[in-house]
Amino acid sequence: MQTPLTTTVPVLRLPRGPDGLSRGFAPDGRRALLKPVVPEIPESQESRESQEQRARAALRERYLRSLLAMVGRQVSFTLHEGVHVTAHFGATDLDVANFYVSQLQTPIGVQAEALLRCSDIISYTFKP
Amino acid sequence: MAMRQTPLTCSGHTRPVVDLAFSGITPYGYFLISACKDGKPMLRQGDTGDWIGTFLGHKGAVWGATLNKDATKAATAAADFTAKVWDAVSGDELMTLAHKHIVKTVDFTQDSNCLLTGGQDKLLRIYDLNKPEADPKEISGHTSGIKKALWCSEDKQILSADDKTVRLDPIKSFEAPATINSASLHPEKEFLVAGGEDFKLYKYDYNSGEELESYKGHFGPIHCVRFSPDGELYASGSEDGTLRLWQTVVGKTYGLWKCVLPEEDSGELAKPKISFPETAEEELEEIASENSDSIYSSTPEVKA
Repeated sequence: MQTPLTTTVPVLRLPRGPDGLSRGFAPDGRRALLKPVVPEIPESQESRESQEQRARAALRERYLRSLLAMVGRQVSFTLHEGVHVTAHFGATDLDVANFYVSQLQTPIGVQAEALLRCSDIISYTFKP
Repeated sequence: MAMRQTPLTCSGHTRPVVDLAFSGITPYGYFLISACKDGKPMLRQGDTGDWIGTFLGHKGAVWGATLNKDATKAATAAADFTAKVWDAVSGDELMTLAHKHIVKTVDFTQDSNCLLTGGQDKLLRIYDLNKPEADPKEISGHTSGIKKALWCSEDKQILSADDKTVRLDPIKSFEAPATINSASLHPEKEFLVAGGEDFKLYKYDYNSGEELESYKGHFGPIHCVRFSPDGELYASGSEDGTLRLWQTVVGKTYGLWKCVLPEEDSGELAKPKISFPETAEEELEEIASENSDSIYSSTPEVKA
């Protein structure tokens, strides 16, 4: 006999169905960490470009962070004709065309403030 | 106060669901794979029925599907004369095993090293998955197409069935009101569920043989029924193209089912009060009515 007071078991929601667009196996699913990382199929032109772009962006970011780390430190510059100078690094301009430095130690004396043209610099080094 | 079973319908298939299998219990829960005549077997989260992905590649109806114990591999048997092994995490096809006829059944050994296949060519084949190019071991003996084959006795024996009934020394037998297509024994051997041609699911007490519960819900014959590895739910696949999840203990909080105690002092029909904030009362009513079998003229028979 049917009891009028029976209620159906409540549910939180219905099971999710396929999204109709992809085959699934979502990269952010429960088991994402178990997936193999390196794809074996050759990449398409498009993805190579975006890969390069991502690499460039990463390298650019690293370089900008290295400039930030240099501020206030003693830096040694190697210029043309075997000239070496040291100075306290101040700042760079937007295009990284000039370095603003102070206490520049040159062969002919110490310059309180100076602008070093980046095109004149072969390399520089510093200890963070 | 008895609660009515709320089956959870998993949609997504467009043709009859002919086979289902659960994985073992993994650190990520357990999983369910369904074989469908639309050729697109699907992987779902076992406790909620949420779709995870579809294995694409077969060119015909998929008759059999299985998962290995830790749900890292899947295998499927299809009408395109192949059995395929898949990576169940990424969905990628790992290998295609060519056969000479429709393949109906696949089963992994416990260690996932070997795959058993069987089908219309009446041969059982055992593939070494570490050496897929090597020829499989073939076992003949069946006189008609093999419908199902399973490893048993810790992979030392194979149990297989063709059109003629195959029985392994019956210890128990149960009478059912209609032709039964599939049955499953609870992991703790307390219950047996079975389903068949009358669209209903039956639950029997394993020890007494008494019919405990029966449920209407499918719109077509039931092709397969399986208990989950923890025994908390069972899944049924039907000709109607759906998969339904049913609770073993109706009213228990598990997966998407949430137990609620109706108000004691209310004299009228108690409406379940759920405490989670994000669901509005109207939304819940919608969910409840979608799940309740209001299309049927008679209510499901429940034997306490």
